[in-house]
Amino acid sequence: MLRHSTGALGGNAMALETLYQQLVLEHNRHPRNYHRLNRPSHSGRGLDALCGDDILVELVVADRVIENAAFSGEACAITKASASLLTDWLKGQRIDNFHLAHRSFKALMADSSLTNCETLGEINQLRAVAAFPARVRNALLPWKAVDQALKTPMD
Amino acid sequence: MNAMELMKTGVKDLLDVHRLRAEFPVLERTVHGKPLIYLDNAATAQRPLAVIEAMDDFYRRYNANVHRGVHQLSVEASEAFEQSRRDVARLLNAPSDREVIFTRGTTEAINLVANSYLRPTIKPGDEILVSHMEHHANIVPWQLLCEQTGATIKVMPINARGELMLDEVEALINERTRLIGIVHVSNALGTVNPVAEVCALAKRFDVPVLVDGAQATPHEKVDVQALGCDFYAFSAHKMYGPTGIGALWGREALLEAMPPWQGGGEMILKVSFEQTQFNELPHKFEAGTPNIAGSIGLGAAVQWLEEKGIERLAAHEQKLLEYATERMEAFDGLRIVGQAANKGPVVSFTIDGVHPNDLGTIIDHHGVAIRTGHHCAMPVMQFFDVPATARVSFAGYNLRSEIDVFMDSLEAACRMLR
Ligand SMILES: Cc1ncc(COP(=O)(O)O)c(C=O)c1O
Repeated sequence: MLRHSTGALGGNAMALETLYQQLVLEHNRHPRNYHRLNRPSHSGRGLDALCGDDILVELVVADRVIENAAFSGEACAITKASASLLTDWLKGQRIDNFHLAHRSFKALMADSSLTNCETLGEINQLRAVAAFPARVRNALLPWKAVDQALKTPMD
Repeated sequence: MNAMELMKTGVKDLLDVHRLRAEFPVLERTVHGKPLIYLDNAATAQRPLAVIEAMDDFYRRYNANVHRGVHQLSVEASEAFEQSRRDVARLLNAPSDREVIFTRGTTEAINLVANSYLRPTIKPGDEILVSHMEHHANIVPWQLLCEQTGATIKVMPINARGELMLDEVEALINERTRLIGIVHVSNALGTVNPVAEVCALAKRFDVPVLVDGAQATPHEKVDVQALGCDFYAFSAHKMYGPTGIGALWGREALLEAMPPWQGGGEMILKVSFEQTQFNELPHKFEAGTPNIAGSIGLGAAVQWLEEKGIERLAAHEQKLLEYATERMEAFDGLRIVGQAANKGPVVSFTIDGVHPNDLGTIIDHHGVAIRTGHHCAMPVMQFFDVPATARVSFAGYNLRSEIDVFMDSLEAACRMLR
């Protein structure tokens, strides 16, 4: 008889609870910085057509410091929570710092056994996503959009 | 007769679903500690033992290359390979098995037609007509061709129920129309298209029709002669066969006139550095060592379908569709995308305030496998103005009780997310 299962059996309902923990749900229902900016200096689109995620991240950058950040668009709970946390975190960060954090966050998503990364602060609460390989792309999408935005200043 | 009509006449000999299920080893497994409920059949169906064992038997007992050796194993492999071709010809009611070309699947079959049939003669300003509900496999090959040749794609419109607007098609055909591509059954909406009517119309203008039959062969008895089409493409994996194999059927006269697509072994009669004489149909289009085990698995799938009776499977699937539709229509905030009068066993849907992606992840933990996303039919998503949908699709082995579990899992997901 074929009787096997994938992943961390038994702990799965738990993992799911952890993924959709109150925090993610709260950010999904009431995302922070979920609006357009009046005069962004940079903007980047995060499009994942396969999943149906399409967000726009807007930034105000001056002297290599991100002064303001916001996002808009349609996306799943994981993408929204990630964008919500990221835009909060971005405010006041230097661009170099974003790139360092981006690397840390990618590492965090690639390995569910890693512990919190201090610089990421509240964003660490997305750690549970690492146990859902099919959903990691959603958590990373807002970061990609910011990365994209920083490469393409608006005229 | 399509499945809907069969439903109305009533199939006497009912399907024994529980016995059927025992033929599918994968249905015994659990997912996240729950029994697997596989409702992603439009993406790919599961395989019965008959298919798994036919392929296993080839590798264990008579594995050899085809058409190349005089030894016993090669003779047996070649015979099994060609038997599968005859099985496919029977499946489609093709006039001749010379018209059946093995491909990697629907996608490759359509690319073959784009490159070997249209490319040599298409001119700037020529037009290719496709419907608004095509799978990307029946859009992108034509787009690539158009980009390189200056031809253009025109779109046959659909209505709000997701049905082809047949009355609008005639006005879109003109002397520049080189081909009509139409999906037999839409994977994103479930719509069964009036393919015979489209073919009759096209014939009046002498325009060939290619039918994407990927979602049709598992659910209805296809008859390419009755449809009146010129090319028919399908994939084995949607109809209980293996992945990486499928076929293109084409009218012999068209195939004869087409140059080969890929070059290599198998497709030639004689090669010198000056010139190559191509092999005859169907080998002209089958360069290189083919997917022998896959073809044998496809043949086994055809035989399995015939043994079970496609009509009988379809009647059962239509009942599931009816029940699921009824339950889903009653679900708060659920919107069914695609409400054609004639549908295959597919229900695409959205739920207010719940992103399909989150839904898919959550109900996976109830053991329920569904598809979420754009279903490789982004123009359909744009038409219905949704970023993505969730989709359930049924096969002969699905149970009414599985739909109940699915509905419960929807409730649970909504409780969690809303
Ligand atoms: C309607 C339709 N056309 C074409 C395809 C492509 O089939 P394949 O990926 O097997 O080539 C699919 C399946 O994904 C389909 O559902």
